[in-house]
Amino acid sequence: MEADQLRFILQELRFSAVLPVEGLGRLAEESTVRRVAAGEVVFRDGSTNNNLYLIRSGRLALEMNVPGRGAVRILTLGAGEMVGWSALLGQGKMTAGAIAIEDSDVVVASADRLRELCEADRDFGFLLMRQMADALSKRLVATRLQLLDLFADAPSLIPTQQAD
Amino acid sequence: MATATEMGTNERFLTEAAFARIFEVLESQGFTVVGPTIDQEAIVYDRIRSVDDLPRGWTDEQAPGQYRLQRRDDEALFGYVVGPHSWKRFLFPPQATVSKADKTETGWQFQAVEPEPAKFAFLGVRACELAAIRVQDRVFMPGPYVDPIYQQRRDNALLIAVNCTQAARTCFCTSMETGPKCTSGYDLALTEIANGFIIEAATAEGAEILSALESDDASIQQRQAGQTARQQAVDQIERRMDTTDIRDLFLSNLEHPRWDDVASRCLSCTNCTMVCPTCFCSSVEEVSDLTGDHVERQRQWDSCFNVDFSYMNGGNVRDNTRSRYRQWLTHKLASWIDQFGSSGCVGCGRCITWCPVGIDLTEEVAAIRGDAT
Amino acid sequence: MSDGYASRMPTPEAAARPWQTHTVAIRDVRREVEGVSTYDLAFLDDTVREAYRFAPGQFNMLYLPGAGEIAISVSDDPRNTEAYGHTIRVAGNVTRTLAGLGVGETLGLRGPFGTSWPLSECIGRDVVIVCGGIGLAPLRPAICTLLQDRQQFGRLNLLYGARSSDTLLFEREYDDWSRQGMDVQTTVDRSSPGWLGNVGVVTLLLDQLPSFDPHNTVLMCCGPEVMMKFTVMAALNSGLSEQQIWVSMERNMQCAVGLCGHCQLGPTFICKDGPVFRYDKIAPFIDVEGL
Repeated sequence: MEADQLRFILQELRFSAVLPVEGLGRLAEESTVRRVAAGEVVFRDGSTNNNLYLIRSGRLALEMNVPGRGAVRILTLGAGEMVGWSALLGQGKMTAGAIAIEDSDVVVASADRLRELCEADRDFGFLLMRQMADALSKRLVATRLQLLDLFADAPSLIPTQQAD
Repeated sequence: MATATEMGTNERFLTEAAFARIFEVLESQGFTVVGPTIDQEAIVYDRIRSVDDLPRGWTDEQAPGQYRLQRRDDEALFGYVVGPHSWKRFLFPPQATVSKADKTETGWQFQAVEPEPAKFAFLGVRACELAAIRVQDRVFMPGPYVDPIYQQRRDNALLIAVNCTQAARTCFCTSMETGPKCTSGYDLALTEIANGFIIEAATAEGAEILSALESDDASIQQRQAGQTARQQAVDQIERRMDTTDIRDLFLSNLEHPRWDDVASRCLSCTNCTMVCPTCFCSSVEEVSDLTGDHVERQRQWDSCFNVDFSYMNGGNVRDNTRSRYRQWLTHKLASWIDQFGSSGCVGCGRCITWCPVGIDLTEEVAAIRGDAT
Repeated sequence: MSDGYASRMPTPEAAARPWQTHTVAIRDVRREVEGVSTYDLAFLDDTVREAYRFAPGQFNMLYLPGAGEIAISVSDDPRNTEAYGHTIRVAGNVTRTLAGLGVGETLGLRGPFGTSWPLSECIGRDVVIVCGGIGLAPLRPAICTLLQDRQQFGRLNLLYGARSSDTLLFEREYDDWSRQGMDVQTTVDRSSPGWLGNVGVVTLLLDQLPSFDPHNTVLMCCGPEVMMKFTVMAALNSGLSEQQIWVSMERNMQCAVGLCGHCQLGPTFICKDGPVFRYDKIAPFIDVEGL
């Protein structure tokens, strides 16, 4: 796919839409679009992976392996979301696995190349990292809310049914 | 010097003997007379039948956490300030049945209990208490929903005010602009002076009672004696509460450190809410016969200091004293204004007197305001 | 039409007798999910039945003599006037007693009370409904009304979060709702084998929602307070104002008519000023711990 076409795609995605045109161009040059079929593994929990993924369409699920319970699905992500932050921020050792639950299109970017881009152009790096931080903070809050188990039976804070 | 208007134009003088007849006049008109009387070393409000039931020659000495009856050096009938009771006991009774349920062949049948007709004459209502009744009127009567018990009792009540001629150390009605002089909301107002009363009727009902009593035009001297007696109460008030912008002050200080401070002293005993003449919280309890086929719902006074007052889905919203005291005081002085258009406090000082640890809300307000010393 | 969406104010008769309870019989009991059932309640007295109308979001006080009284939002289509569904989770003494009753048995009902969802405000606008757990029940009457008058409204989105796939309330109706023109998205906190839907909290669905115009949207939200708080944050982030967001609050409601004092939150009485509030009306108080 042409870089121009990819830039257009990136402009449409929530994660990358705020990057400046020039930055989008560079990101596009380092990216490809890949089709993943429903059920296909994008990366495995604990594997080493060097790609950052942006979901263009479809849905991916993040799963963690728990001995005795198998792959536990933690979160599902849709169009515009980023997957694979460990490749960019960590040592490339994935903290969860990603699997397509629908036929999906993902934009794939090399984490090494992105890191180089960030180092070479700190303004671009700041914007990219701000987007990463924003996405991860939202995911952190969402995880905290899951942790609270708000819809559990008791004690609960569920409306319409008041104490008696 | 008082002007002619201030002195009143229809002030009459009643001798004590003429006043004593008010009981039979009221009873002949079907009123149940409620007024001050001594019970368990306190001046309380109860059914009274004659002038002999009044606390003749007694006064009350009050301070934070303290209340004591003392002998006066005269035979005054209304020579005290206020006690632990207020008229809400009679307008908003501490316990009342609100509805009944009976199990029949076709299932449960329900009936809202009609308020029992009650016709009270309140004798000895202070200015701050007239204000408190006005406050509760705005709670229970404007609608859309009205409290039928309160409304029935209030509509039929005759209010005979007696002006304060002295103040307790806990009084701060002048700060709340509710007293000590009775200015409105009564049928009859009395001021006790030597050998009798200055009396004034403000309504047709009051005038009718007055006309049945033997009274004279009050003389200049008698009027002046009344004025002097009332002024004495004004002069004795030493406690102040600054109410400037108090609504915003409280609602913007919900996390003030003073709440922790007062919580360390407050016992959450509910005394302040029980003696407060405006506190109106209640809860309903199920009272069933042995078969369970006849159930009454009984409303009782409740208090925001009770732990389970805010109970919801297995937990209490206000699960500590800090949040409960904050609720009480913030409601009383601030959010009451949003809800009912006036402060919920009338400056009677009961919550100060009857607090077992002597918490003084005027001090708490000053501390929140940041000008505590 | 628009005044057809107004809150139901008490009749003078009801206003003068706030404790008057009416006999209702259980016409049907439907198990919704574990621990949650819908009770269809019908008035025995014809006059009462004719006079009774509720607005979506309003609640009734259900009374079980000897056990007590409990506030429950009506979860039924307002067009049904023969019997009114109340979706109830067994949580305490009253609900446990109710769970022991069967079809034909009677209990007491006072109501309706409180404010309702702002359906008139929704006319010509996009509507986003965000709810969690049993919080879908008070919104069901609003959903029925929106779908009944579908052409009056813009895009309709329902975002619904539950603990797990087997606790999704009213699941059998989602297809109908979709067919009638509402985009229904569900998510669960805890995935289970075989669940192919979304996993994650409902606020993430709002973050990902593409099809609404933030400047011309009404958002209605009902669920645990913490969930509503984060839903509001997400909504404000997507460009909505506090005036476009409505939430249904809960406190200890006893008298239901603003006279007993129990349900206060700051200056509001949840029972009579709420339970449905425009968010800006309670925003200063909702985050204060223990208020």
